[in-house]
Amino acid sequence: MTYIGSRILDRELKKGSAELLILSLVEDQPRHGYDIGQLIEQRSQGVLKFNVASLYPLLYRLEKRGWIQGRWIERPTQRRRRYYRLTADGKKILAAQRNSWLEFVQAINRITGMEHA
Amino acid sequence: MLDWKKEIRQRLADSKLEPAREGEIVEELSQHLEDRYQQLVTGGATTEEASHAVLLELADSELLSSELRRVHRTIHREPPVPGEQRRTTVLHDLGQDLRFGFRTLFKNPGFTAVAVIALALGIGANSAIFSVVNTVLLRPLPYKDPDGLVMVWEDATRHGYPRDTPAVANYLDWRSQNHVFEDMAAVADASLNLTGVGDPERLEGSAANASLFSLLGVAPQLGRAFTAEEDQPGANRVVVLSNRLWARRFGADPSIVGKQITLNGQPATVVGVMPSQFQFPSQDVELWVPIAFTPQQAASRGRHYLQVVARLKQGVTLGQAQAEMNTIATRLQQQYPQQNTDLGAVVVPLHEQVVGDIRPALLILLGAVGLVLLIACANVANLLLARAAVRQKEIAVRVAFGASRWRLIRQFLTESVLLAAVGGIFGLVLSVIGIKLLTRFIPPNISQIKAIELDSYVLGFTVLVSLLTGVIFGLVPALQASMFKPNETLKEGGRDSSSGNRGNRMRALLVVAEVAVSLVLLIGAGLLINSFLRLRSVDPGFDSSNLLTMRIVLPDLKYKEQERRSAFYTDLIQKVEALPGVKSAAVTTNLPLYRQGNSTGVEIEGRPAPPPGQEIIITTRVISPKYLTTMGIPLLKGRQFGPEETAKMPGAVIISETMAKRYWPNEDPIGKRLTPGRNAGPDDWFQIIGVAKDVRQFELNADPKPQMYLPYVQADFFAPRDLVVKTNIDPIGMAATVRSAVWAIDKDQPVSNIKTMDEIAAESVARQRFSMMLLAIFAAVALVLAAVGIYGVMSYSVTQRRNEIGIRMALGAQRRDVLKLTVGQGLKLVLVGVAVGLVGAFVLTRLMVSLLFGVGATDPATFIAISVILVGVALFASYIPARRATRVDPLVALRYQ
Repeated sequence: MTYIGSRILDRELKKGSAELLILSLVEDQPRHGYDIGQLIEQRSQGVLKFNVASLYPLLYRLEKRGWIQGRWIERPTQRRRRYYRLTADGKKILAAQRNSWLEFVQAINRITGMEHA
Repeated sequence: MLDWKKEIRQRLADSKLEPAREGEIVEELSQHLEDRYQQLVTGGATTEEASHAVLLELADSELLSSELRRVHRTIHREPPVPGEQRRTTVLHDLGQDLRFGFRTLFKNPGFTAVAVIALALGIGANSAIFSVVNTVLLRPLPYKDPDGLVMVWEDATRHGYPRDTPAVANYLDWRSQNHVFEDMAAVADASLNLTGVGDPERLEGSAANASLFSLLGVAPQLGRAFTAEEDQPGANRVVVLSNRLWARRFGADPSIVGKQITLNGQPATVVGVMPSQFQFPSQDVELWVPIAFTPQQAASRGRHYLQVVARLKQGVTLGQAQAEMNTIATRLQQQYPQQNTDLGAVVVPLHEQVVGDIRPALLILLGAVGLVLLIACANVANLLLARAAVRQKEIAVRVAFGASRWRLIRQFLTESVLLAAVGGIFGLVLSVIGIKLLTRFIPPNISQIKAIELDSYVLGFTVLVSLLTGVIFGLVPALQASMFKPNETLKEGGRDSSSGNRGNRMRALLVVAEVAVSLVLLIGAGLLINSFLRLRSVDPGFDSSNLLTMRIVLPDLKYKEQERRSAFYTDLIQKVEALPGVKSAAVTTNLPLYRQGNSTGVEIEGRPAPPPGQEIIITTRVISPKYLTTMGIPLLKGRQFGPEETAKMPGAVIISETMAKRYWPNEDPIGKRLTPGRNAGPDDWFQIIGVAKDVRQFELNADPKPQMYLPYVQADFFAPRDLVVKTNIDPIGMAATVRSAVWAIDKDQPVSNIKTMDEIAAESVARQRFSMMLLAIFAAVALVLAAVGIYGVMSYSVTQRRNEIGIRMALGAQRRDVLKLTVGQGLKLVLVGVAVGLVGAFVLTRLMVSLLFGVGATDPATFIAISVILVGVALFASYIPARRATRVDPLVALRYQ
């Protein structure tokens, strides 16, 4: 029971935060899907991991909402790749999500910290 | 290394993405997997290990495809986002569909031509008729607030005139006693002879109350209208010109106002010119003079000759106005029982008055074009269905490559809307030509109508019809195409023979519908043609061949005395009869079939005066001696007028068969005496000297009323005005010579309405001819379309059954058997269609009873004859492809897969 319970929590957390993660990663520069996946894995030191089946539908959904925009870009030495960049709408969403995420984490910290203390 | 794209595609099979989008996703994901694979290999993994690890990424493939489906479906649910991609995709698809549509249309010129022709006929006929309906029925009359305008008539139903022209005193009472009308104005026909400028001319004019113009809300374009002061006897020497007369006779002289012209031999001052769209009470009217009732006129309840127009007060309904007029009429009945017994008043909206006669015909025609359009659509739908069946393999391939149902529907819709648009454009061209033709045949007596032109309403209507058509017939094949299973079609390995039972049924259904609808139209047209032929074969009571007629209205002022008028007529007839080529000549007050004429109340000697409301009203013509001979009206009894008739009384009268039968049913009327009008002195009696055959005086489809003829030397109350000449040669060729004879007597005497009697007879049935012709055209179009439809279905079915036929023939079937088989199939469809159509016609033709004459709405002969014709044509249409089927070489047919 506990095992299943923690897995569900895991998934919901990931889903809630995944949008924020992706938006943050394309904030400074356009990135392609593999790059985004790799960065999430590296920076979270392997805790967070997206596979193809979970990452791409998410990218497409964000794109449909107009928060990021994908574009095929060809470089001389590479095959063409699809790069995603943050749109103006996306920037606003990112700022809002960052805020609420911060509040959420602080709230959790306060609760869990008090309970530990 | 594995083929990533293939792996991904397999896993996306369920997601039903659009092919283009799917391609992109596959490319993007495969690159991801490739990158991952390279990374793993670079990190030291074996190729097997790497491949295995990479495939794990796709392990959750159900999630992937369902998520992707969700993302791409949510597009339609989410509100439009600023992202432009969506629009470009749809636009891109549309462009693609359009290009593809054009290509397929051009690739099948036969199909395209037939479909476009069918649509153009349907749409063209539709917008042409709609233009007419629009102009006649829908477009408001060119007056201010036309909805508030009504005509008020006397209701003399008792005498056969439910809308009779009111008498002056009645009108004046209505005007002073009512509380429902803002204003009322009366007009009366006034023929005026214009002299002094160029050829003398008789003009159709109107004597009108001064308030007419302000009541209708139309201001003169030049000068002013009459004043109330000018609407008084003695002050009324003023005239308002129509734009047409102003341009025609006065060169649109801008300084015309204030000038004097000569009307009926008297000077009249032009005070104004009306704008060209002002045509009240009819388009023939070229000038208006004040009606200026004299005291005698104003007191008269016996002469009914006014037309009264009124404007309802704000907020007063038609019903309220009618109720008030009923009250007033009842009061007048009690007040003046002598003249007003049984005389009511009836209020009719002006618009209804103007279009009332023609409305049923136009509505029936509108219905008919609707049906033609339906047939055209069914035809095109049929063609598209047949083609959809042929294109099943193409569709199967596209579905297999991931084309979505919606996408297919869209493409088919684009194609058919494109077809409809092309058909619409051709239809528009056709309708412009059609309107030109129609205008030529519009009966001239529908007043208020100048030019029927294609306007924006009609354009909108056509566009709507063609788009709707596109959607309607585009939907069927598209739905059908999107419903079928690609696997099965592909599995059939291209054998068309068993394809689409549903499609076959649908096509059969369409043929049945087409046959049924065309039968309804054909029967409708058949009934009208039948009516028309019967109408034309009605014996009018006279012989119209070689008769030249012209109108010569003697001005009252110049020909005041009866002696002067008589001298003119006698002189004229003598001069005309002396002309070579002339058999005889005569004058009358009114020629038959002109829908005009006088009636008189009659008292019979020795019988009590009829009580009020039951007067004997007799259609009366005042004629010269040889009128009956000239017109070829047979005399049944007694003698004609001759030199015996002089101005001395007692006078002589010739009565009609019907009058004789009605009033002297069991006696010989010859020698009996009667007097026209009341208050007859002892010397005012007229003795019956002859009985003539009935003449249809008003129109061919009305039974003749009792009528009588009086000699012009004795009856001075109606002045003859129509000259009729029987010629030995082509009558119209004599027109100039006869006119010179008139001018030889009086160089200022206008001559108008020069026509042959045949022309007058033809004009009197112009409306019926118009409806008949149009419906006949529609029926012919329907017949052609139905034949094309049957041909199309049969030739398609024969092509499909080539295999089967080949086998039958290889097994020894004779040509005759094959013919029987295929024609029989077509015949079955046609017979079902005919059965349905007969039922439909039985119900629908009742709607056109008012247009029929001498034929019942369910005339069995017409029903049977038309059904036989339709079956014959249908058989022929299915015989051609059937015969082709028998020419199939069994070997070729069997080889042909």
